[in-house]
Amino acid sequence: MTLILDILTTAAILFVIATGLLTIFGVLKIINFAHGAWLTIGAYCAVAVGQLGWSPWLAFPVAFVVGAVLGGLTERFIVRPLYARPLDAILATWGLGIVVGQLITLGFGRDVQFTAPLLPGTADILGTSYSIYRLFALGAAIVIGLGFSWLMEGTRLGLSARAVIMNEALAHVLGLDTRRIRWVTFMIGCGLAGLAGVLLTPLTSVDPNMGLAWLVGSFMLVMVAGQSFAALALACLLLGGAQVLVSTFLSPILGGITVAVLAAIILRISPKGFSRV
Amino acid sequence: MKRRLLLTALAATMLAGPAMAEEPFLIGIPVGLSGANSVVAPSVVQAAELAVDEINAKGGVLGRQLKVVVADDGSGAVGAQKAFDSLVFQKNVNAIISMETSAARNAGLPIVGKGKIPYIYTSFYEGHSCSPYLYVDAWVPQQQVPPVVDYLKAEGAKSYFLIGSDYAFGRGMLEFARKYIDKTGGKVVGEEYLPMDGTDWTPIISKLKSSGADALITSTAGGAPNVTLTKQLRSAGVTIPYANLAVDEGTAKSMGADAAGILISASYITGIDSTANKDFMAALKKKFGDKARTPNDLSVPEYEGVYLYAAALKKAGTTDTRPVLKALGEVSYKGPRGTITMSKQHHAPLTMYLGQVQKDGSVKVVKSFKDVDPGDQCPNL
Amino acid sequence: MSDTTLDSAGPARPGPLWRLGALAIAAAAMMILAPLFLDRFTVNVLTRSMIFAILAVTVDLLWGFTGILTFGQAAFFGAGAYATAMVLTHMGSGPGLMALGLLLSILVPVALAAAVGWLTFYPGSSDFYATVISLVVPIVVTQLIYSGGTWTGSSSGLVGYFGLDLSLGGFFRLAGLCLVAVVFAALVFVRSDAGRVLTAIRNNETRCAYLGINTQAVKIALTTVLAGVTGIAGFLYANASGVVAPENTGFVFGTQLVVWTALGGRGTIIGPALGAVAIDYLSAQLSGQLPFLWQLVVGLMFVVMIIFMPNGLAALVTGWRRVRKGPAAAAPALVPIARRARGPASDAPLLQIERLEKAYGSHKVLEDITLTVRPGELVSLVGPNGAGKTTLMRCMTDGQAASGGTVRVNGESITGLVPNRIVARGIGRKFQVASVFESLTVAECLRMARAAHERPSFTRRRDTLALPQPAIEILRLTGLDRQLGAEVSLLSHGQKQSLELAMVVALEPALILLDEPTAGLTKAERTTIGTVLQTLTSELGLAAILVEHDLDFVRDISSRIVVLHQGRLVLDGTVEEVVNDDIVKRIYSGGDHG
Repeated sequence: MTLILDILTTAAILFVIATGLLTIFGVLKIINFAHGAWLTIGAYCAVAVGQLGWSPWLAFPVAFVVGAVLGGLTERFIVRPLYARPLDAILATWGLGIVVGQLITLGFGRDVQFTAPLLPGTADILGTSYSIYRLFALGAAIVIGLGFSWLMEGTRLGLSARAVIMNEALAHVLGLDTRRIRWVTFMIGCGLAGLAGVLLTPLTSVDPNMGLAWLVGSFMLVMVAGQSFAALALACLLLGGAQVLVSTFLSPILGGITVAVLAAIILRISPKGFSRV
Repeated sequence: MKRRLLLTALAATMLAGPAMAEEPFLIGIPVGLSGANSVVAPSVVQAAELAVDEINAKGGVLGRQLKVVVADDGSGAVGAQKAFDSLVFQKNVNAIISMETSAARNAGLPIVGKGKIPYIYTSFYEGHSCSPYLYVDAWVPQQQVPPVVDYLKAEGAKSYFLIGSDYAFGRGMLEFARKYIDKTGGKVVGEEYLPMDGTDWTPIISKLKSSGADALITSTAGGAPNVTLTKQLRSAGVTIPYANLAVDEGTAKSMGADAAGILISASYITGIDSTANKDFMAALKKKFGDKARTPNDLSVPEYEGVYLYAAALKKAGTTDTRPVLKALGEVSYKGPRGTITMSKQHHAPLTMYLGQVQKDGSVKVVKSFKDVDPGDQCPNL
Repeated sequence: MSDTTLDSAGPARPGPLWRLGALAIAAAAMMILAPLFLDRFTVNVLTRSMIFAILAVTVDLLWGFTGILTFGQAAFFGAGAYATAMVLTHMGSGPGLMALGLLLSILVPVALAAAVGWLTFYPGSSDFYATVISLVVPIVVTQLIYSGGTWTGSSSGLVGYFGLDLSLGGFFRLAGLCLVAVVFAALVFVRSDAGRVLTAIRNNETRCAYLGINTQAVKIALTTVLAGVTGIAGFLYANASGVVAPENTGFVFGTQLVVWTALGGRGTIIGPALGAVAIDYLSAQLSGQLPFLWQLVVGLMFVVMIIFMPNGLAALVTGWRRVRKGPAAAAPALVPIARRARGPASDAPLLQIERLEKAYGSHKVLEDITLTVRPGELVSLVGPNGAGKTTLMRCMTDGQAASGGTVRVNGESITGLVPNRIVARGIGRKFQVASVFESLTVAECLRMARAAHERPSFTRRRDTLALPQPAIEILRLTGLDRQLGAEVSLLSHGQKQSLELAMVVALEPALILLDEPTAGLTKAERTTIGTVLQTLTSELGLAAILVEHDLDFVRDISSRIVVLHQGRLVLDGTVEEVVNDDIVKRIYSGGDHG
């Protein structure tokens, strides 16, 4: 039972972290290497909210807004000139990640920061006591997943975004403002990264480099998932599950590189990954 | 041609160095101003500056003043090479006294060997680093682990679970802990490691919960992994006695309620009840005011290291390296941690304190163990 | 004409290469003398900086020239350094073991790189994927080192072994000479004909594949060889510094290499080398005072450079040089080569398509296509937009494109084959939008077309360009023969179309596929191309399949016309039959659309 819960919650956390990246990759076809920095920004929003004495739950909307606004600026001034040079976009966002890390260090210091615990304690599930917060993360992942399905399937923005994903030139000819769609998408992706950062605070240390550890895993999941959220959910479940199983039955050290190595092999065998799901 | 002249002139001044008696002794401090150690580095620099000021106020050593030269080692080996090169060959320091990561220390040792100057290492570490130029005034596993295990045993723990980060210090500490537990009749029911940058301890925690261990001993990399593990342990509802071999007071404080109850073992805790410690803390406060960093198990050995070096210079009566190195193993200094002598194979017997983190983040001394022996660290020295 | 060209086609002119050699010798002399004038600190710091500069050069070859953005060089470097340090630590020192260390420091990274290359470069792999894998490799290698216990020294690294018995100055000279050698070799290589292949791959990998160049193999080979060079740098580092640590293999170091390369100026070799030395030296000087600010400044500079000055600081210098040099570089002389003797023609038709099908999900783009083409035929493929013409062309040149049916070339099925293998079987394809190499010269583009036939030189640029007579003919008819030294990006649209045609013809294909070769051309250019095609087919016995909208053009030159409509082959007959057919009239009048 614990094992199943471990797998589900691990997959959920991976999913929440990777959604922002997938949103951007899907529409803009660009990998945002500053994703880790945005996770960190989100987490520091939680720190700031705590220092202001606000309710820790307020950190979620604050982080989304801060992440989205900064993301909007980034898209406008850094990413937009580089759409024709996707590899340079990787580098520019990577450089931006370094800059953000240093700015946070200058502003908050290098030390580990304190954040108020959101949901302490454990709950009994079928006789096993399990962390309430991890169960909450599972719920959050489901909400974000469903929310996104609705956004993509049920709204005008989603329709436009899907048009851009499928055929950008055509979408442009059809009169869609592709530049605006990219901008909004990038903002949403960054906002989601900020949100994920807050979600991480009760689970990890909050320090200027915290985002880095999650970066490569998310890249690999997104590469495997392609452009589909369903595929991302599947990838998180399979690869996250593999990570938990390897950690539990073989060695947590191998578990640490399971996601990256498995994803690389999956992509070698089937270059399209799970994107046909 | 002009350049050549300039270089010749420079060389001349360098050669003329010893003749000018009023030149201060330079103490090189390579330390991680950036990177993993940057959290603790400012307190280390402050401790060194305070010691130098105090010694200079009393007239210096051998009629000369002391001066601190700081260089950033980036908390790693590559940065340490630059920092040591700069200190030893560019700034021509007389000694290196600092805390660093093990990789940085290893990177610096060959340079210190080429420069032939003393190096006092002031960080606790996994042990067995030996060089004629190297002295250590901080603890090794042989000194830190036994108090913890003895205490837990007295509290009734029979089975132990060990968790660490996968690196030399983490493995070294737990390896020693396992041996010591076996020797004292306890049982290790699990030993697990996560990579240094690992973020998800969940499978390990699940194993811990199902193992039924009476007590938990952890030795992670400092800072982030430590906080991450503790947060996840608490959120999973782990309440068994928990000894953390890698946590310092500052980190414990930033973890808030999650840290409450954690046992720590250290040679320095701010709550040590001695006049030397109280004077030291007051002096620190006076010199740096609001900017004073909380002293800790890394900064206090730095402070004492400077005093030990000064004492060695005085005893040797010269700046020649050989006599100073010999004297370093003989002199002692009574500081905030008690009387320190690096007499045991270039290492120091230390009084160890077992502390427990309180709900408000402060650390209460539970028990102290006088002059714990570092064991055979360098039998050839 | 050919007489005069042969005269100048002697040994390589003693031009740039000779000058480069002189510069290299001067630089080497400087390296030998420098330790006499520098203080110990500078000697030590520069020794390491120069070793890192070697790595920056390898990053530049991969990224700046070939377009493979890699963070993985750190892993190969670390593997080499650790191989050396582990031999010296665990087996002891001595000349024999030192040699073993050197050997392993090359072999281990080479083996690792070959595996990584296989994993990274396969037909259809994306650039992103390569970059992300290059992030994973150092992470995995670093983790192995952490887990290695006393074997690798884990987080503490390895220290205290006895390396090469050299003084500080000796290591400086060794590192300096190695750097000069690597820079010199890299410069000679990138200026050689083989080196231009890398730029061609960066410019247009698809075109390379359709010229019969196995780009994946080139990339794997390059990665592997450069890993060996990187390993030697690791050997030097392990000896010069006396310590190896996990951070030497980490991806943070890997990204640093890319930053240095970017700031120095990618695609210039010298820029990254100088950039690495300068920034590493500066950071040794400055980071003590302002550690965080220094990193912030480097990060900011990096972002600004990437956006506004993608070619780095070196662009300031090279930009100036280009203006001075003028647009046209020295052009090689054209030499005709004898037509390749083909084996006895097999009985099977040149191209045989049976029941070919292509579907996206349930949507069928092509259905039940059966078509045979024999030598000497000029078949035109006509049909309205969206009929599937271009898709059909793709299915003939990419064995993984079709969803059903078979395509045989000379009687052998091409199912599953990648384009460069199919090209090797005698099919040449010209794309709808001219697919050439923008940053190469006309002559270099044509040489790429011959790369699969004659191995380009790794050391020099040939003075002659040997092409089949028909290709030379095209160049002469279109006036491109007078612009061989011009950069392709400066050509007109029509000239690019002609160039691509010449490139495809230079492949000496048995069957040539042309997708709207006359679109956007002037009447005169059109006539020229028509003449060339007729010569190729009727006189030289090639077959050609032509996708074309201009029905007059089609009528003038075709020997047969095939009509495609809504993914089906509706008519296959002579010009007369098709032109007078009712269905065709109906399709083209638009009545049968949708």
